[in-house]
Amino acid sequence: MAAEFVLEHSPEEHLARCLDRIEREDGRINAFIELNPRASEEVREAPHGRLRGMVVGVKSNINVRGLRATCASRTLENYVSPYDAVVVERLRREGAVVVGMTNMDEFACGSSGETSFFGPTRNPVAEDRIPGGSSSGSAAAVAAGFADAALGSDTGGSIRNPASHCGVVGVKPTYGLVPRHGLIDLAMSLDQIGPITRDVRTAALLLEVIAGRSREASMLNASPEPYSQRLTPDLSGVRVGFAREFEEFTAPEILGVVKRSLRRLEAQGAEVVEVELPSLEKALPTYYLIVFVEFFSATRRYDGRRYGHRIEEVCGAEVLRRILLGSYISQKEYAGRYYRRALQFRSLIRRELLEALEKVDVLAGPTTPKLPHRLGEELSPLEMYAYDLLTVPANLAGIPAGVVPAGRAGGIPVGLQVHAKPLQEQLMLNVMLAAEGRE
Amino acid sequence: MKVRIGFEIHEQLATRTKLFCTSPADYRDAEPNTNVCEICLGMPGAKPMGVNAEAVEGAVAIALMLNCEIVQEPVYILRKHYDYPDLPSGYQRTSMPIGRNGELAGVGIWEVHLEEDPGKYDPVTGKVDYNRSGVPLVEIVTAPDITSPEEARAFMRELVKVLQYSRRVRREGGTMRVDVNVSIEDGARVEIKNINSIRGLYRALKFEITRQKNLRRRGKAVRRETRAYIEEQMITRSMRTKETAEDYRYIPDPDLPPLRITPELVERIRRELPEAPHQKLARFVEQYRISRDDAWAITSEPEMADAFEQVCTQVEPARAAAFFRHIIKKTLNYHNLSFAESGIRVEDIVQVLRAISEGRLSQQAGELVMRRVVEGERAAEVLREMSRVDEQSLVSAVEQAIHQNPGAVEDYRRGKQEAINYLVGQVMRITKGRADAARALELLRERLS
Ligand SMILES: [Zn+2]
Repeated sequence: MAAEFVLEHSPEEHLARCLDRIEREDGRINAFIELNPRASEEVREAPHGRLRGMVVGVKSNINVRGLRATCASRTLENYVSPYDAVVVERLRREGAVVVGMTNMDEFACGSSGETSFFGPTRNPVAEDRIPGGSSSGSAAAVAAGFADAALGSDTGGSIRNPASHCGVVGVKPTYGLVPRHGLIDLAMSLDQIGPITRDVRTAALLLEVIAGRSREASMLNASPEPYSQRLTPDLSGVRVGFAREFEEFTAPEILGVVKRSLRRLEAQGAEVVEVELPSLEKALPTYYLIVFVEFFSATRRYDGRRYGHRIEEVCGAEVLRRILLGSYISQKEYAGRYYRRALQFRSLIRRELLEALEKVDVLAGPTTPKLPHRLGEELSPLEMYAYDLLTVPANLAGIPAGVVPAGRAGGIPVGLQVHAKPLQEQLMLNVMLAAEGRE
Repeated sequence: MKVRIGFEIHEQLATRTKLFCTSPADYRDAEPNTNVCEICLGMPGAKPMGVNAEAVEGAVAIALMLNCEIVQEPVYILRKHYDYPDLPSGYQRTSMPIGRNGELAGVGIWEVHLEEDPGKYDPVTGKVDYNRSGVPLVEIVTAPDITSPEEARAFMRELVKVLQYSRRVRREGGTMRVDVNVSIEDGARVEIKNINSIRGLYRALKFEITRQKNLRRRGKAVRRETRAYIEEQMITRSMRTKETAEDYRYIPDPDLPPLRITPELVERIRRELPEAPHQKLARFVEQYRISRDDAWAITSEPEMADAFEQVCTQVEPARAAAFFRHIIKKTLNYHNLSFAESGIRVEDIVQVLRAISEGRLSQQAGELVMRRVVEGERAAEVLREMSRVDEQSLVSAVEQAIHQNPGAVEDYRRGKQEAINYLVGQVMRITKGRADAARALELLRERLS
């Protein structure tokens, strides 16, 4: 099997076609904040690696030397990266070319792609809908054919949510498998970088390039595996868990698509069994408390002295809300009542998920509880947070989770979410390949 | 009135790299903001590498030398948040205790832990230099067991000596920072910051204790507060009240897994631990048969103690000890230098001691030689120069050579050039080699032309 990215045209020609598409359509979609002015030069000089000629969009919270990593915020509107993130170095080494920096929710605080200082992104598949977030521009760029792949970051679903809404593949790897050096923080103990692509095979290839140990402290001691070479849709003997609680919280039109997808897995030899995740509803408040505290800490460097603006003075409402709540609950007198409790619940949820994954090989289910809303529709913060209900458990537990297009509900894409045990990315990708229904 | 004094001492560890990145820990010769990388600058997205193992070992070694127990459970690295221009990330990383419940010279050591140094902010120019940002510090917290400025001074001298003996801290000097807390008769605790020398510590305490005693005498309460020591005026000045002190919002750093200090590591460090000052002192008395006072003076600095032991392989210890204690220490004090800074080499000391014992040099002259060594010369050169005969003696030696060797004089006058070399040799013989040969040649030529 091919372990390389295959192009129909020369890399130069391929890039030119992508740029042409961006020029024609991105005025409407708004997937990119900034394009790489040196992309054409870089593609000519790109090494002959496994990703030679691959056109990649990078989320605006990942450092790419010479481009702006704005986090879609006025806070960092003038921050030009002086260094490449480790994942960007690894992509370049294999011949991929960064075409530009993609749009996102401001500082990754959002699940709709609407909170960007540079304006909201449209869902290319259903243009009156949100693309999901926070990796909104990355998913939209891939769905619209502006790029072959994109890097996103996922703290509580920020890769998987927009992948599901835009009908593309997205992978959140095991915490500590992919280096974060160069990823601007939302919540350090939950953030992971991962690929967004149009098919599982490309996602597997990209993941094997960016994964593996580096010098940063929070990495697992794991080697990259040749996922793309070992991919197989044969699921003989694989036990797939489906949690009863998924049904309770998910809209029926989504469940319909998901269940058809599970039948496809059974056709490939999998056995679907029911499991229980009784603490699922505790995941969301636990997740948000942790995010608030870690995000507050992460934003202290934006004090106006080095990057031009003090974050509290220029950021949007959602970012400010998180900073203020983080500041409040990490005070000495409240930390015990909120933050430490949240960490205890986190351990509980992790244990429960890992126990469920002892009985089965993977868990499969919906990605979001509801379909994406119409652009501009007003949601309360709690309604917005509810999008993340089914994606945050993987981050809290540190396990891998991937999303693959499962079908459509009323013309809107729906993704199947697959969870696996820590470092079981291969099995997860095999299940995703089977669900994808391509050969 | 009973005075209680406790310290928090910060000293830079002499590691090769900073605490969480590979930028050099020694920034002394670097232009401002050049000894940095995205990690120690806290750039958006930068992640710490694992805690510098050399720094962890240094903290463990120092904790052991201060008779601490080494913590068995995981040691979390905390983020301490505060807003100041020298902190590039808005928080400082500081570890939970690595060592606890130690003791030195009768003073309890509450804890020893690791911290990262912030950058350097100059409030006058408003500029920040981050070269120092991320350099590993060891922080030592003592119990409030000290009862006077004199005791404080003696304890700090002892502590500095132990730190030097650990060979884990920077020897360049000027990197130690001390925060002191003082209370009188169970009154409010006052913290004094910004002290960076033992002399400053002594003066700050003198001032502060007088200030607190005066307040009490006038029937006023001492406020719980933080004061700064103003070096130039030798006073302390109020900084802020403890009641309104900021909340640091400590959290375990999510980017750093806790440290695990294994019993195996502790055992290895314990085995390789350098001799403590008091151990070395006892051994010197025993091994070299020198007085306690001599040994005390010689072991005041580990580098000096090392030099003494090397000198003793070539010189009789009693004479070496007297020379170290009286001549070398005096010379160092005169120049206000430590032995390590002085540039004195073992061979300098050996040569001077030999010259004295062979009667070529007086004790007094020996001191003069050492002074010139400290000023940058080598003893061998100085000795050679000092032992040369003066011009008058040289002239008479030349006369004597001519008088005693008429044959050679005759040969030279007949044009046999090499005969004059023989005469120079005779001058050197007469002066016992202490003549300047070039000058002797010159004088002979003049005299015979
Ligand atoms: Zn550095």
